[in-house]
Amino acid sequence: MEAVEYFEVECPEAAGREYYRKIADVVLLDHNLLRVIRKLHIFIDPKVPIFIATGVTRKLPGIVRVRDFADVNVKDTNVTISIGDEAYLAPLLRILWDKFGKERVNQPDRFTIVLSVGEGEGDIADLPVYDPSESIYKDLIYVLQVIQPEGFKVRRQYYGGNRFYLVASEDTLPEDIEDLVRQKFALMGVEV
Amino acid sequence: MTHVPVTYKGGIYRHDEIIDLIEDLGGYIIQKHVIAQEVVLQALVPREDIELIRKIGKPLTGDVTPSPLVGTEIAVVTPSLEIHHLPHASCDVAEYIRRFGAKTNMVGLARGFGKRIAQLNDEERDVINEHDLAVYLLGDFEACIERKFPVLRRGIEVPIVLCGGPPTDALKKIVDPPVDGYVGGVGRFMHRTKESEEIGKLEEVVAEVTRVLDQRREDLARDPLSISPARFMDIIAENVEEIHEVLSPTPITVQMQGLRVKLPYDTFAPVIRKIVVDEGITIGDLATVSPSRMRDYILVRIKPFSETNIVL
Repeated sequence: MEAVEYFEVECPEAAGREYYRKIADVVLLDHNLLRVIRKLHIFIDPKVPIFIATGVTRKLPGIVRVRDFADVNVKDTNVTISIGDEAYLAPLLRILWDKFGKERVNQPDRFTIVLSVGEGEGDIADLPVYDPSESIYKDLIYVLQVIQPEGFKVRRQYYGGNRFYLVASEDTLPEDIEDLVRQKFALMGVEV
Repeated sequence: MTHVPVTYKGGIYRHDEIIDLIEDLGGYIIQKHVIAQEVVLQALVPREDIELIRKIGKPLTGDVTPSPLVGTEIAVVTPSLEIHHLPHASCDVAEYIRRFGAKTNMVGLARGFGKRIAQLNDEERDVINEHDLAVYLLGDFEACIERKFPVLRRGIEVPIVLCGGPPTDALKKIVDPPVDGYVGGVGRFMHRTKESEEIGKLEEVVAEVTRVLDQRREDLARDPLSISPARFMDIIAENVEEIHEVLSPTPITVQMQGLRVKLPYDTFAPVIRKIVVDEGITIGDLATVSPSRMRDYILVRIKPFSETNIVL
Protein backbone atom coordinates (compact mmCIF):
# COMPACT_ATOMS: atom_id res chain seq x y z
CA MET A 1 0.00 0.00 0.00
CA GLU A 2 3.06 2.29 -0.08
CA ALA A 3 2.15 3.46 -3.55
CA VAL A 4 -1.10 4.94 -2.27
CA GLU A 5 -0.84 8.47 -0.87
CA TYR A 6 -3.66 8.16 1.61
CA PHE A 7 -5.24 4.94 2.81
CA GLU A 8 -7.45 4.68 5.87
CA VAL A 9 -10.00 2.20 7.12
CA GLU A 10 -12.44 3.62 9.63
CA CYS A 11 -14.41 1.18 11.75
CA PRO A 12 -15.63 1.11 15.35
CA GLU A 13 -14.24 -2.44 15.83
CA ALA A 14 -10.46 -2.66 16.06
CA ALA A 15 -10.12 -6.25 14.87
CA GLY A 16 -12.45 -5.65 11.94
CA ARG A 17 -10.51 -2.54 10.95
CA GLU A 18 -7.25 -4.45 10.71
CA TYR A 19 -8.90 -7.26 8.71
CA TYR A 20 -10.43 -4.87 6.22
CA ARG A 21 -7.16 -3.00 5.82
CA LYS A 22 -5.53 -6.26 4.83
CA ILE A 23 -8.46 -7.34 2.64
CA ALA A 24 -8.47 -4.05 0.71
CA ASP A 25 -4.71 -4.25 0.28
CA VAL A 26 -4.76 -7.82 -1.02
CA VAL A 27 -7.74 -7.38 -3.33
CA LEU A 28 -6.38 -4.19 -4.92
CA LEU A 29 -3.01 -5.85 -5.40
CA ASP A 30 -4.58 -8.96 -6.93
CA HIS A 31 -6.50 -6.84 -9.44
CA ASN A 32 -3.47 -4.70 -10.30
CA LEU A 33 -5.21 -1.51 -9.23
CA LEU A 34 -2.84 -0.22 -6.57
CA ARG A 35 -1.04 1.91 -9.13
CA VAL A 36 -4.28 3.50 -10.22
CA ILE A 37 -5.42 4.72 -6.80
CA ARG A 38 -4.07 7.88 -5.21
CA LYS A 39 -6.31 8.09 -2.16
CA LEU A 40 -8.73 5.66 -0.59
CA HIS A 41 -10.90 5.95 2.48
CA ILE A 42 -13.06 3.06 3.63
CA PHE A 43 -15.68 3.44 6.32
CA ILE A 44 -17.51 0.44 7.75
CA ASP A 45 -20.03 0.42 10.56
CA PRO A 46 -21.39 -3.11 11.04
CA LYS A 47 -23.97 -1.88 13.53
CA VAL A 48 -25.90 0.25 11.02
CA PRO A 49 -24.76 -1.60 8.76
CA ILE A 50 -23.07 0.51 6.12
CA PHE A 51 -19.99 0.39 3.92
CA ILE A 52 -18.61 3.50 2.25
CA ALA A 53 -15.53 3.55 0.06
CA THR A 54 -14.39 6.85 -1.41
CA GLY A 55 -11.30 7.45 -3.46
CA VAL A 56 -9.32 9.48 -5.92
CA THR A 57 -7.50 7.99 -8.89
CA ARG A 58 -4.14 8.95 -10.30
CA LYS A 59 -3.78 10.34 -13.79
CA LEU A 60 -4.88 7.37 -15.84
CA PRO A 61 -2.67 5.99 -18.61
CA GLY A 62 -3.43 7.54 -21.98
CA ILE A 63 -5.16 6.09 -25.00
CA VAL A 64 -3.27 3.23 -26.65
CA ARG A 65 -2.54 3.90 -30.33
CA VAL A 66 -1.29 1.53 -33.01
CA ARG A 67 2.29 2.84 -32.86
CA ASP A 68 2.45 1.98 -29.12
CA PHE A 69 2.37 -1.72 -29.76
CA ALA A 70 3.16 -2.27 -33.46
CA ASP A 71 5.50 -1.24 -36.28
CA VAL A 72 3.79 0.30 -39.28
CA ASN A 73 5.44 0.19 -42.74
CA VAL A 74 3.80 2.06 -45.59
CA LYS A 75 4.72 1.08 -49.17
CA ASP A 76 2.58 2.71 -51.86
CA THR A 77 -0.93 1.52 -51.14
CA ASN A 78 0.20 -1.37 -48.94
CA VAL A 79 0.50 -0.97 -45.18
CA THR A 80 2.22 -3.73 -43.18
CA ILE A 81 1.59 -3.79 -39.44
CA SER A 82 3.90 -5.97 -37.32
CA ILE A 83 2.29 -6.59 -33.95
CA GLY A 84 4.55 -6.37 -30.89
CA ASP A 85 1.97 -6.83 -28.12
CA GLU A 86 -0.75 -9.28 -28.97
CA ALA A 87 -3.03 -7.97 -26.19
CA TYR A 88 -4.35 -5.25 -28.49
CA LEU A 89 -4.57 -7.34 -31.65
CA ALA A 90 -8.24 -8.26 -31.31
CA PRO A 91 -9.54 -4.69 -30.81
CA LEU A 92 -7.28 -3.48 -33.63
CA LEU A 93 -8.60 -6.05 -36.07
CA ARG A 94 -12.17 -5.13 -35.23
CA ILE A 95 -11.45 -1.45 -35.89
CA LEU A 96 -9.70 -2.21 -39.18
CA TRP A 97 -12.52 -4.46 -40.37
CA ASP A 98 -15.04 -1.75 -39.62
CA LYS A 99 -12.97 0.91 -41.32
CA PHE A 100 -11.67 -0.92 -44.41
CA GLY A 101 -13.86 -4.00 -44.71
CA LYS A 102 -12.69 -7.58 -44.27
CA GLU A 103 -11.61 -8.02 -47.89
CA ARG A 104 -8.92 -5.32 -47.60
CA VAL A 105 -7.50 -6.59 -44.28
CA ASN A 106 -5.14 -9.54 -44.68
CA GLN A 107 -3.55 -11.42 -41.85
CA PRO A 108 -0.91 -13.77 -43.34
CA ASP A 109 0.29 -14.85 -39.91
CA ARG A 110 -0.46 -14.22 -36.25
CA PHE A 111 1.72 -11.13 -35.89
CA THR A 112 1.31 -9.48 -39.27
CA ILE A 113 -1.53 -7.52 -40.84
CA VAL A 114 -1.36 -6.35 -44.43
CA LEU A 115 -3.74 -3.59 -45.48
CA SER A 116 -4.41 -2.12 -48.89
CA VAL A 117 -5.35 1.50 -48.38
CA GLY A 118 -6.49 4.27 -50.65
CA GLU A 119 -5.21 7.85 -50.94
CA GLY A 120 -4.93 9.69 -47.60
CA GLU A 121 -5.80 6.62 -45.60
CA GLY A 122 -2.22 5.64 -44.73
CA ASP A 123 -2.15 7.27 -41.29
CA ILE A 124 -2.65 4.02 -39.40
CA ALA A 125 0.02 4.60 -36.73
CA ASP A 126 -2.04 7.21 -34.89
CA LEU A 127 -5.24 5.20 -34.85
CA PRO A 128 -6.62 4.97 -31.29
CA VAL A 129 -7.20 1.34 -30.32
CA TYR A 130 -7.98 1.10 -26.64
CA ASP A 131 -8.95 3.52 -23.87
CA PRO A 132 -7.88 2.11 -20.48
CA SER A 133 -9.93 4.58 -18.44
CA GLU A 134 -13.15 3.00 -19.72
CA SER A 135 -12.47 -0.31 -18.05
CA ILE A 136 -10.51 0.93 -15.06
CA TYR A 137 -13.51 2.52 -13.40
CA LYS A 138 -15.53 -0.62 -13.98
CA ASP A 139 -12.72 -2.67 -12.45
CA LEU A 140 -12.52 -0.28 -9.50
CA ILE A 141 -16.19 -0.61 -8.71
CA TYR A 142 -15.98 -4.38 -9.09
CA VAL A 143 -13.03 -4.51 -6.71
CA LEU A 144 -14.87 -2.41 -4.13
CA GLN A 145 -17.77 -4.86 -4.36
CA VAL A 146 -15.36 -7.68 -3.58
CA ILE A 147 -13.91 -5.77 -0.63
CA GLN A 148 -17.28 -4.85 0.91
CA PRO A 149 -18.85 -7.27 3.38
CA GLU A 150 -21.01 -9.79 1.57
CA GLY A 151 -24.76 -9.47 1.53
CA PHE A 152 -24.84 -5.69 1.13
CA LYS A 153 -27.18 -5.75 -1.82
CA VAL A 154 -28.35 -2.13 -1.72
CA ARG A 155 -25.66 -0.14 -3.48
CA ARG A 156 -24.97 3.26 -4.92
CA GLN A 157 -21.86 3.91 -6.95
CA TYR A 158 -20.34 6.78 -8.86
CA TYR A 159 -17.21 7.40 -10.86
CA GLY A 160 -15.85 10.15 -13.01
CA GLY A 161 -13.56 13.14 -12.86
CA ASN A 162 -10.83 11.24 -11.03
CA ARG A 163 -13.20 10.34 -8.19
CA PHE A 164 -15.21 7.30 -7.29
CA TYR A 165 -17.32 6.07 -4.46
CA LEU A 166 -19.37 3.05 -3.51
CA VAL A 167 -21.93 2.93 -0.75
CA ALA A 168 -23.49 -0.37 0.24
CA SER A 169 -25.80 -1.69 2.90
CA GLU A 170 -28.27 -4.50 3.39
CA ASP A 171 -30.97 -2.00 4.39
CA THR A 172 -32.29 1.03 2.53
CA LEU A 173 -29.56 3.64 2.34
CA PRO A 174 -30.03 6.61 4.71
CA GLU A 175 -31.27 9.84 3.13
CA ASP A 176 -28.22 11.84 4.14
CA ILE A 177 -25.91 9.41 2.36
CA GLU A 178 -24.45 12.09 0.08
CA ASP A 179 -23.50 14.22 3.07
CA LEU A 180 -21.72 11.20 4.53
CA VAL A 181 -19.86 10.62 1.29
CA ARG A 182 -18.89 14.30 1.19
CA GLN A 183 -17.56 14.02 4.75
CA LYS A 184 -15.43 11.04 3.82
CA PHE A 185 -14.03 12.87 0.81
CA ALA A 186 -13.29 15.87 3.08
CA LEU A 187 -11.22 13.59 5.36
CA MET A 188 -8.91 12.98 2.41
CA GLY A 189 -8.79 16.68 1.68
CA VAL A 190 -10.95 16.46 -1.41
CA GLU A 191 -13.77 18.89 -2.10
CA VAL A 192 -16.82 17.49 -3.84
CA MET B 1 -8.57 -53.91 21.75
CA THR B 2 -8.62 -50.15 21.33
CA HIS B 3 -8.21 -48.72 17.88
CA VAL B 4 -6.12 -45.65 17.21
CA PRO B 5 -6.56 -43.46 14.12
CA VAL B 6 -3.35 -43.21 12.09
CA THR B 7 -2.14 -42.19 8.66
CA TYR B 8 0.35 -44.37 6.81
CA LYS B 9 2.35 -42.69 4.07
CA GLY B 10 4.69 -44.68 1.90
CA GLY B 11 5.76 -45.81 -1.51
CA ILE B 12 3.32 -47.62 -3.76
CA TYR B 13 5.68 -50.60 -4.08
CA ARG B 14 4.43 -53.53 -1.96
CA HIS B 15 1.89 -51.33 -0.19
CA ASP B 16 -0.64 -54.14 -0.41
CA GLU B 17 1.44 -55.93 2.22
CA ILE B 18 0.75 -53.07 4.63
CA ILE B 19 -2.96 -53.23 3.83
CA ASP B 20 -2.98 -56.97 4.49
CA LEU B 21 -1.04 -56.45 7.70
CA ILE B 22 -3.46 -53.84 9.03
CA GLU B 23 -6.41 -56.05 8.15
CA ASP B 24 -4.80 -59.14 9.72
CA LEU B 25 -4.11 -57.22 12.91
CA GLY B 26 -7.81 -56.41 13.13
CA GLY B 27 -7.53 -52.83 11.93
CA TYR B 28 -9.65 -51.04 9.34
CA ILE B 29 -8.65 -49.08 6.27
CA ILE B 30 -10.93 -46.07 6.16
CA GLN B 31 -9.54 -44.45 3.04
CA LYS B 32 -6.80 -45.15 0.53
CA HIS B 33 -5.29 -42.53 -1.77
CA VAL B 34 -2.80 -43.30 -4.46
CA ILE B 35 -0.99 -40.15 -5.51
CA ALA B 36 1.59 -40.82 -8.23
CA GLN B 37 4.22 -42.98 -6.52
CA GLU B 38 2.84 -42.51 -3.03
CA VAL B 39 0.13 -44.21 -1.05
CA VAL B 40 -1.71 -42.59 1.83
CA LEU B 41 -3.76 -44.89 4.02
CA GLN B 42 -6.06 -43.62 6.70
CA ALA B 43 -6.73 -46.42 9.09
CA LEU B 44 -7.83 -47.45 12.53
CA VAL B 45 -5.27 -49.84 13.99
CA PRO B 46 -4.86 -51.58 17.36
CA ARG B 47 -2.80 -49.36 19.66
CA GLU B 48 -0.26 -52.06 20.53
CA ASP B 49 0.51 -52.86 16.89
CA ILE B 50 1.54 -49.40 15.70
CA GLU B 51 5.22 -50.17 16.28
CA LEU B 52 4.93 -53.38 14.26
CA ILE B 53 3.39 -51.54 11.30
CA ARG B 54 6.09 -48.90 11.58
CA LYS B 55 8.79 -51.59 11.57
CA ILE B 56 7.40 -53.46 8.58
CA GLY B 57 6.73 -50.24 6.71
CA LYS B 58 10.22 -48.84 7.22
CA PRO B 59 11.96 -50.69 4.35
CA LEU B 60 9.08 -49.54 2.11
CA THR B 61 9.79 -45.90 3.08
CA GLY B 62 6.56 -45.94 5.05
CA ASP B 63 5.78 -43.66 7.93
CA VAL B 64 3.00 -43.92 10.49
CA THR B 65 1.68 -40.74 12.09
CA PRO B 66 -1.23 -40.30 14.48
CA SER B 67 -4.26 -38.63 12.85
CA PRO B 68 -6.78 -37.80 15.53
CA LEU B 69 -9.58 -37.07 13.09
CA VAL B 70 -9.65 -40.28 11.03
CA GLY B 71 -13.16 -41.73 11.02
CA THR B 72 -14.98 -38.43 11.43
CA GLU B 73 -17.00 -36.38 9.00
CA ILE B 74 -16.94 -32.65 9.53
CA ALA B 75 -19.05 -29.91 7.96
CA VAL B 76 -17.28 -26.63 7.22
CA VAL B 77 -20.11 -24.13 7.14
CA THR B 78 -19.61 -20.79 5.46
CA PRO B 79 -22.19 -18.06 4.86
CA SER B 80 -21.84 -18.42 1.09
CA LEU B 81 -19.65 -19.84 -1.62
CA GLU B 82 -19.12 -16.38 -3.14
CA ILE B 83 -15.75 -14.83 -3.82
CA HIS B 84 -16.07 -13.13 -0.43
CA HIS B 85 -15.65 -16.46 1.33
CA LEU B 86 -13.83 -18.47 -1.28
CA PRO B 87 -11.33 -19.72 -2.04
CA HIS B 88 -9.02 -18.90 0.78
CA ALA B 89 -10.73 -18.77 4.15
CA SER B 90 -13.07 -21.73 3.75
CA CYS B 91 -10.95 -23.93 1.51
CA ASP B 92 -7.80 -23.54 3.57
CA VAL B 93 -9.59 -24.51 6.76
CA ALA B 94 -11.41 -27.44 5.11
CA GLU B 95 -8.20 -28.65 3.51
CA TYR B 96 -6.16 -28.33 6.68
CA ILE B 97 -8.64 -30.34 8.74
CA ARG B 98 -8.58 -32.96 6.00
CA ARG B 99 -4.84 -33.40 6.49
CA PHE B 100 -5.54 -34.80 9.93
CA GLY B 101 -7.71 -37.53 8.54
CA ALA B 102 -11.19 -36.07 8.74
CA LYS B 103 -13.58 -36.16 5.81
CA THR B 104 -14.69 -32.56 5.44
CA ASN B 105 -17.63 -31.31 3.44
CA MET B 106 -18.09 -27.66 2.65
CA VAL B 107 -21.57 -26.37 3.27
CA GLY B 108 -22.13 -23.03 1.56
CA LEU B 109 -25.42 -21.59 2.72
CA ALA B 110 -27.83 -20.28 0.12
CA ARG B 111 -28.70 -17.17 2.11
CA GLY B 112 -26.17 -17.10 4.90
CA PHE B 113 -24.62 -13.76 4.03
CA GLY B 114 -25.43 -10.38 5.52
CA LYS B 115 -26.40 -9.53 9.08
CA ARG B 116 -30.15 -9.04 9.28
CA ILE B 117 -30.91 -11.05 6.15
CA ALA B 118 -28.96 -14.24 7.05
CA GLN B 119 -31.00 -17.45 6.97
CA LEU B 120 -30.57 -21.19 7.29
CA ASN B 121 -33.02 -23.46 5.50
CA ASP B 122 -34.21 -26.89 6.55
CA GLU B 123 -32.10 -28.75 4.01
CA GLU B 124 -28.93 -27.02 5.16
CA ARG B 125 -29.85 -27.70 8.77
CA ASP B 126 -30.43 -31.40 8.13
CA VAL B 127 -27.26 -31.78 6.08
CA ILE B 128 -25.17 -30.17 8.84
CA ASN B 129 -26.84 -32.40 11.43
CA GLU B 130 -25.68 -35.47 9.50
CA HIS B 131 -22.06 -34.68 10.39
CA ASP B 132 -20.06 -35.30 13.54
CA LEU B 133 -19.20 -31.66 14.00
CA ALA B 134 -19.76 -28.33 12.30
CA VAL B 135 -17.05 -25.69 11.93
CA TYR B 136 -18.69 -22.30 11.38
CA LEU B 137 -16.50 -19.80 9.58
CA LEU B 138 -17.97 -16.37 10.09
CA GLY B 139 -16.78 -12.86 9.37
CA ASP B 140 -14.73 -10.15 10.98
CA PHE B 141 -17.26 -8.11 12.93
CA GLU B 142 -18.54 -8.83 16.43
CA ALA B 143 -21.79 -6.95 15.84
CA CYS B 144 -22.49 -9.15 12.81
CA ILE B 145 -21.68 -12.48 14.44
CA GLU B 146 -23.73 -11.60 17.50
CA ARG B 147 -26.77 -10.92 15.35
CA LYS B 148 -26.57 -13.68 12.77
CA PHE B 149 -25.08 -16.64 14.62
CA PRO B 150 -28.27 -17.45 16.59
CA VAL B 151 -30.05 -17.77 13.22
CA LEU B 152 -27.37 -19.95 11.66
CA ARG B 153 -27.23 -22.36 14.61
CA ARG B 154 -30.98 -22.82 14.96
CA GLY B 155 -31.80 -26.53 15.03
CA ILE B 156 -28.17 -27.68 14.83
CA GLU B 157 -27.65 -30.57 17.22
CA VAL B 158 -24.05 -31.51 16.48
CA PRO B 159 -21.16 -29.84 18.32
CA ILE B 160 -20.17 -26.48 16.84
CA VAL B 161 -16.72 -24.90 16.62
CA LEU B 162 -17.12 -21.21 15.88
CA CYS B 163 -14.39 -19.36 14.00
CA GLY B 164 -14.45 -15.64 13.41
CA GLY B 165 -12.31 -12.55 13.07
CA PRO B 166 -12.69 -11.14 16.61
CA PRO B 167 -10.44 -12.56 19.36
CA THR B 168 -11.53 -15.79 21.06
CA ASP B 169 -12.59 -14.00 24.26
CA ALA B 170 -14.82 -11.63 22.32
CA LEU B 171 -16.45 -14.58 20.54
CA LYS B 172 -17.13 -16.31 23.86
CA LYS B 173 -18.74 -13.17 25.19
CA ILE B 174 -21.19 -12.63 22.33
CA VAL B 175 -22.38 -16.22 21.87
CA ASP B 176 -25.20 -17.31 24.09
CA PRO B 177 -25.84 -20.16 24.83
CA PRO B 178 -22.18 -21.17 24.49
CA VAL B 179 -21.00 -23.50 21.72
CA ASP B 180 -18.44 -26.28 22.11
CA GLY B 181 -15.39 -24.56 20.70
CA TYR B 182 -14.14 -21.13 19.65
CA VAL B 183 -11.24 -19.99 17.53
CA GLY B 184 -10.74 -16.25 17.17
CA GLY B 185 -8.64 -14.54 14.56
CA VAL B 186 -9.85 -16.71 11.70
CA GLY B 187 -12.29 -14.46 9.91
CA ARG B 188 -12.75 -13.37 6.35
CA PHE B 189 -9.47 -12.91 4.54
CA MET B 190 -8.61 -12.84 0.87
CA HIS B 191 -5.20 -14.47 0.62
CA ARG B 192 -3.65 -17.91 0.92
CA THR B 193 -2.52 -18.94 4.38
CA LYS B 194 1.20 -19.20 3.86
CA GLU B 195 2.85 -17.39 6.76
CA SER B 196 3.70 -19.39 9.85
CA GLU B 197 1.39 -17.24 11.96
CA GLU B 198 -1.57 -18.07 9.74
CA ILE B 199 -0.71 -21.76 9.63
CA GLY B 200 -0.58 -21.53 13.42
CA LYS B 201 -4.17 -20.33 13.35
CA LEU B 202 -5.20 -23.33 11.26
CA GLU B 203 -3.41 -25.55 13.77
CA GLU B 204 -5.52 -23.91 16.45
CA VAL B 205 -8.70 -24.77 14.55
CA VAL B 206 -7.60 -28.41 14.26
CA ALA B 207 -6.66 -28.51 17.96
CA GLU B 208 -10.05 -27.13 18.93
CA VAL B 209 -11.88 -29.58 16.64
CA THR B 210 -9.85 -32.47 18.07
CA ARG B 211 -10.57 -31.36 21.63
CA VAL B 212 -14.32 -31.14 21.00
CA LEU B 213 -14.40 -34.51 19.23
CA ASP B 214 -12.37 -36.19 22.01
CA GLN B 215 -14.95 -34.94 24.45
CA ARG B 216 -17.68 -36.31 22.25
CA ARG B 217 -15.91 -39.69 22.10
CA GLU B 218 -15.80 -39.75 25.89
CA ASP B 219 -19.51 -39.04 26.04
CA LEU B 220 -20.16 -41.82 23.54
CA ALA B 221 -18.00 -44.24 25.53
CA ARG B 222 -20.44 -44.01 28.45
CA ASP B 223 -23.04 -45.75 26.33
CA PRO B 224 -20.97 -47.53 23.69
CA LEU B 225 -22.22 -48.23 20.19
CA SER B 226 -23.45 -51.74 19.42
CA ILE B 227 -20.74 -52.13 16.78
CA SER B 228 -17.86 -49.98 15.60
CA PRO B 229 -18.61 -47.93 12.46
CA ALA B 230 -15.36 -49.08 10.85
CA ARG B 231 -16.35 -52.71 11.23
CA PHE B 232 -19.74 -51.89 9.79
CA MET B 233 -17.99 -50.39 6.79
CA ASP B 234 -16.08 -53.63 6.19
CA ILE B 235 -19.26 -55.69 6.48
CA ILE B 236 -21.13 -53.53 3.98
CA ALA B 237 -18.17 -53.55 1.57
CA GLU B 238 -18.10 -57.35 1.73
CA ASN B 239 -21.81 -57.84 1.20
CA VAL B 240 -22.85 -55.15 -1.25
CA GLU B 241 -21.03 -55.73 -4.52
CA GLU B 242 -22.20 -52.44 -6.12
CA ILE B 243 -20.33 -50.26 -3.62
CA HIS B 244 -17.10 -51.07 -5.47
CA GLU B 245 -18.44 -49.40 -8.58
CA VAL B 246 -19.07 -46.07 -6.84
CA LEU B 247 -16.49 -43.56 -8.03
CA SER B 248 -16.55 -41.11 -5.13
CA PRO B 249 -13.35 -41.03 -3.02
CA THR B 250 -15.06 -42.52 -0.01
CA PRO B 251 -17.96 -44.72 -1.19
CA ILE B 252 -18.63 -45.46 2.47
CA THR B 253 -17.87 -42.52 4.73
CA VAL B 254 -17.16 -43.45 8.31
CA GLN B 255 -18.53 -41.21 11.01
CA MET B 256 -18.27 -41.43 14.77
CA GLN B 257 -21.74 -42.88 15.18
CA GLY B 258 -22.49 -44.31 11.81
CA LEU B 259 -21.85 -44.33 8.10
CA ARG B 260 -22.87 -42.61 4.95
CA VAL B 261 -23.27 -45.14 2.15
CA LYS B 262 -23.18 -43.56 -1.27
CA LEU B 263 -25.76 -45.77 -2.99
CA PRO B 264 -29.36 -44.92 -3.91
CA TYR B 265 -31.63 -45.31 -0.90
CA ASP B 266 -34.65 -46.95 -2.48
CA THR B 267 -32.71 -49.79 -4.07
CA PHE B 268 -30.12 -50.52 -1.43
CA ALA B 269 -31.62 -49.64 1.96
CA PRO B 270 -33.58 -52.95 2.17
CA VAL B 271 -30.46 -54.85 1.08
CA ILE B 272 -28.31 -53.20 3.75
CA ARG B 273 -30.91 -53.71 6.47
CA LYS B 274 -30.94 -57.44 5.79
CA ILE B 275 -27.16 -58.00 5.89
CA VAL B 276 -26.32 -60.51 8.59
CA VAL B 277 -23.63 -59.28 10.97
CA ASP B 278 -23.50 -62.18 13.37
CA GLU B 279 -25.67 -65.23 14.04
CA GLY B 280 -29.18 -63.98 13.58
CA ILE B 281 -28.30 -60.30 13.99
CA THR B 282 -28.81 -58.04 10.99
CA ILE B 283 -27.78 -54.46 10.37
CA GLY B 284 -31.42 -53.49 10.75
CA ASP B 285 -31.25 -54.69 14.37
CA LEU B 286 -28.17 -52.67 15.20
CA ALA B 287 -28.76 -49.46 13.32
CA THR B 288 -31.33 -47.20 11.74
CA VAL B 289 -31.00 -47.01 7.99
CA SER B 290 -32.50 -43.76 6.76
CA PRO B 291 -32.32 -41.59 3.65
CA SER B 292 -29.65 -38.90 3.77
CA ARG B 293 -30.44 -35.29 2.83
CA MET B 294 -27.22 -35.36 0.83
CA ARG B 295 -28.13 -36.50 -2.70
CA ASP B 296 -29.74 -39.93 -2.69
CA TYR B 297 -27.37 -41.44 -0.15
CA ILE B 298 -28.09 -43.74 2.75
CA LEU B 299 -27.38 -42.72 6.31
CA VAL B 300 -26.72 -45.50 8.80
CA ARG B 301 -26.89 -44.54 12.45
CA ILE B 302 -25.67 -47.20 14.88
CA LYS B 303 -27.80 -47.65 17.97
CA PRO B 304 -26.10 -47.57 21.39
CA PHE B 305 -25.82 -50.58 23.68
CA SER B 306 -28.63 -49.29 25.91
CA GLU B 307 -31.09 -49.68 23.02
CA THR B 308 -30.00 -53.00 21.56
CA ASN B 309 -28.35 -54.81 24.48
CA ILE B 310 -25.80 -56.12 22.01
CA VAL B 311 -22.14 -55.25 21.66
CA LEU B 312 -20.21 -56.88 18.84
